[in-house]
Amino acid sequence: MVDPRLPSDRVELPYATRPGIVAWLTAEIWDHLWPWSRAGFQTGRALQGAGLALGLAASVVWILAGLGHMQAGAVIAWWFGWSVFEVVVRLGAKPYVKEGPWWGRCYRRAGRMDMLCYVGFKNLLIGAALFIALKSLGALVV
Amino acid sequence: MIPTIDSPVARALMRYAALMLLLACLATTAGATSYEAHLPPELSTSPRMCDYVPCAEVLPGADSFSERKGSPPYVEGYRGSGDGKKLVGYVMLSTDITDLPAYSGKPVVTLIGMDARGYFTGVKVLKHSEPILLLGIPEQALIDFNHQYVGKFVGDQLEIGQSRPDEHIVGLDAITGATVTVIAQNQVMLNSGMAVAKQVGILKPTPRAAAKFVDSGAAPTWQQMVEEGSLQRLSVSPAEVGSSGAGPFIELWFGYLNQPTLGRAILGRSGYDRLMADLKPGDHAIFVIRTAGGESFKGSGFVRGGIYDRVQVRQGRDIFSFRDTDYLNLYGVAAPGAPAFTESAIFIIHGGNAFSAAYPWQFVFLGNKTDRETRTKTFVNFDREYWLPANYLQGGRPLVVKPDPTWLKIWKDRAGAIVAFTALLLGVAVVYANRDGLVRRSSHKNKWPVNGFKYVAWVISIFFAGFGLLAQPSITQVLTWFHSLLFQWKWELFLSDPFIFIFWVFIIVTVFVWGRGLFCGWLCPFGSLTELMYKVARALGLKRFQTMLPKRLHDRLKWVKYAVFIGLLAVSMFSMGLAEKLAEVEPFKTTILVGLFKRSWPYTLFAGTLLGLSIFIERPFCKYLCPLGAALAMPTTFRWFGLKRKQECDTCKACAKGCGSLAIDRDGRIDQRECLLCMDCMILYYDQHGCPPLAQERRRRTKSGLEMTRIGADGYFIPIRQIPTQAAEK
Repeated sequence: MVDPRLPSDRVELPYATRPGIVAWLTAEIWDHLWPWSRAGFQTGRALQGAGLALGLAASVVWILAGLGHMQAGAVIAWWFGWSVFEVVVRLGAKPYVKEGPWWGRCYRRAGRMDMLCYVGFKNLLIGAALFIALKSLGALVV
Repeated sequence: MIPTIDSPVARALMRYAALMLLLACLATTAGATSYEAHLPPELSTSPRMCDYVPCAEVLPGADSFSERKGSPPYVEGYRGSGDGKKLVGYVMLSTDITDLPAYSGKPVVTLIGMDARGYFTGVKVLKHSEPILLLGIPEQALIDFNHQYVGKFVGDQLEIGQSRPDEHIVGLDAITGATVTVIAQNQVMLNSGMAVAKQVGILKPTPRAAAKFVDSGAAPTWQQMVEEGSLQRLSVSPAEVGSSGAGPFIELWFGYLNQPTLGRAILGRSGYDRLMADLKPGDHAIFVIRTAGGESFKGSGFVRGGIYDRVQVRQGRDIFSFRDTDYLNLYGVAAPGAPAFTESAIFIIHGGNAFSAAYPWQFVFLGNKTDRETRTKTFVNFDREYWLPANYLQGGRPLVVKPDPTWLKIWKDRAGAIVAFTALLLGVAVVYANRDGLVRRSSHKNKWPVNGFKYVAWVISIFFAGFGLLAQPSITQVLTWFHSLLFQWKWELFLSDPFIFIFWVFIIVTVFVWGRGLFCGWLCPFGSLTELMYKVARALGLKRFQTMLPKRLHDRLKWVKYAVFIGLLAVSMFSMGLAEKLAEVEPFKTTILVGLFKRSWPYTLFAGTLLGLSIFIERPFCKYLCPLGAALAMPTTFRWFGLKRKQECDTCKACAKGCGSLAIDRDGRIDQRECLLCMDCMILYYDQHGCPPLAQERRRRTKSGLEMTRIGADGYFIPIRQIPTQAAEK
C-alpha cells in the first residue's frame, strides 16, 4: 500500500536512527561525503568502481587546485562531471534522500529527480565553498 | 472537457509550446552594439589612446589629441594647428580612472569628453556586459541616459532621481529596470570627470584645517606603531591582479612623517630634522616600503614622464599624485623591529590647505588586472585608509561625517517603500504560517478565508511590487550572481536594488522552510498576473473555454522548465552573454520591467501569447517554461515543512481533481516541486463535507447520533473514547 504522506516510500536506515548527536553527525557525514555502499558494489561493481576512481580523481583535482596547479575552468568542469556521475553512483548505492528538516531522520526512496536535486545542491554548496576558499587564498585565479 | 494526450487540443498545445520556444529564440536575435564588444588590447596601454577610440565623437570640435598624460590619465583635445592650436577639452577612458563594476560585475567601459570649463561634451559606451541592456532594455536607453550628462558641469551634485534645487542636487532620469547599472554609471562619470577636472585645475581642492601635532617625545617601536594604527599595511594578492603564485603580489607599509613623534621614530632625529627643513609650508611627507612581492610600487612611469603612476594619496575627492620631484630616497627605518624591505620611498604631498593629516586619507596602489583568456588588462586600484591616532593630534581627531555610500542613500530615500514591501512579504509569510487556522475556516464551497489573503497578495505583488517597484525576481539575477562570484563580488551593487535584494532573502528562506510555492504561487508578480487573469476570465464567463492539460502530457511538459534552467546554467559556464540572451525565455522584462508595447515585436508577441494562453490554461509559463521556477523547485525537494496527506489519499482523487498545479499524482502524493501552495487540498483535508473519508465518518456519526468532535492535526475527527463510569469502575 502506498503511503501518500511521503513523496515516495519510506526507507529505514539502521545507522541513521541511532540515538545521540554524535551518531547523527556521523550518519550525516557518512551520507553526504561517501556516496558508495556495500549494497551498491554488490549490484553494480563496475559502475561503483568507476565512481570510486572518478571520485578519487575529483578529490585530487581539488588538491591540485589548492596547490595552484589547476585552472578555475578545469576545476569547475571536473566538479560538474563528478556531480553527474555521483547521481548515477548514488542511485545504485544509496538511493534515498532525507525528507523534511535537515535535522530530522526521515528518509525516503529517491527518484532520479530527487537525486539530481540532492547531489546538485550538495555539490553546489561544497564546490562554492571550496572554490571561494581557494580563490581567496590565491590558489585559483579566474 | 479534459483533453487526452492524443486529442487535437493536446496536439495543438504541443505545437503551441514549440511555437513559444521558437518565439523565445526569435526574441533573442536582437543584437546590441557594445555588449561585450571587442576592444583593442592597446586601448588600455597605448599612450595614443585616441588612435583606438573615436575621441572626436565625445569632444566635438577637437581635431587632434595628445598622448595620455596625468595620473589618472587623460588626453587633451585641440582644434587647429601650429600657433592657432587651441585646447578644446579633455577625453578620458573610465577604466583608466575607476574600476567600479556595474551590475554584471564588470565595468562599463566609457569614453568621456569634457570641455576646458568642465562641462561634459559627450559620452560613449565602448563596452558593457549588462545583461538587462542586452535584451531587456534597448541599448539606446543607456545612450539616452548618458546623453543627460552633456552640458552638465562636472562639479555639480549629479544624482539619479529628482532634482532638488534647494539641496543643489541635479537629478538624472534613471533607466527603468536598470537602476543598479545607472547608479554605477553615474559614479563612473563623476569619479572620472572629477579626477581629471581636479588635475587640470577646473575644480579646486577642498580646503581642510591643518593638523596640530602633539610631540610626546616618545620613541615608539615598529610594533607599537602598527598596533596603534600609525603605520598601515596594504597587501595585494596575485589573484587580485589576475596572476597566480604563492605569497603577496605586493605588500607595502606606509605612514605619515610630519608628525614629530612618528617622523623621528621612522627616520631618526637627524633624518626627521633634515626632512622638515626641506619641506615647504603646506607640504606633507609619507614613507612607503615594500616588504613582500616582486612588483615595484614606483613602476617605470616616472622614468618616461616623471610621474609615479602606481601610487596615489586620496583625501575625500582630492587626489594627490607624485612626480619625480616629489620623491626622496629612504635609506633605512630607524624604529626598532622594522621589517626588512626591498623598495622604499618618501613621497611629498604638495597639498597646501587641501591635505590635512588631521583627517583620514587613503594610500592607493594602482594596478592592472590581466584577463587570463584574452590577455587584456583592466585598471584596478587597492587602497588602505590612514588616520593619525588621536594621541598624536592636539584636541584629538576632528569629527568626520563620512557621506553615506550610494546603496545606503537609496535605502534611506526609499525607506517608506522598503518598509511597505517588507511588510507585504512578512504579512504573506505570517498568513501562510497560520494556514492551518485559515484552511479550517474554509470549505470547498467557500475558500475565501485563504483566497482572500492570496488575492490581496497577488494584487499588491502585481501592481505595487511588480509594476511599481519593478521587484520581479529573474533567472538572470541568479546567473549574474554566479558571474559576480567568479569575477568580482560587490555587496554594494546588489544592495543598490533594495527590493530585489529583500525579495531574494525572502525567497531563499521560504524555499527552504515551505518550498517555492509561497513565492511562485503567492508573490511572483508575473505568476500572480497570469493566475489572476485566469480567475478573472473564469468569473467573466470564460470558464467553458478554460482547460487543464491531461496529466500525462503535463508530466512530460513539466520537465521542459528544468531543461531550460539546466541549459541556461550549462551555457553560462561557457558564455554568460549567450546565457543572458537565452534567458529572454522569461517574459518578465517585457511584461513588468519595460512594458509590453515598448519592445520589438518578437518580445511583445512572445509575452502577449503567454499572457493570452494564461486566460485559458492556469499558469502555463510557471508550469512548463519558467527557469526561475525550476531553479527554486530543485531545493524545494528539501523544504522542511510540506503539506499534509491522509492514508486514504492514495485511492481518493478528490484533491487531485481540483489541483490547479496538477501536482498530485495517481497515488495521491504531492510533487512538492510542482506545488504552488494554493491550499485547495489543505482546505479539503479538514473539510468534513468535501473530504470523502471525513464525509463518510460525518455521515456515520450523524446516523449513530454521535458527537462531531474536532478534526485533529492528522485530518481525522478526534476519536470518541468511552470513559468508564465510576459505577463500572467500582
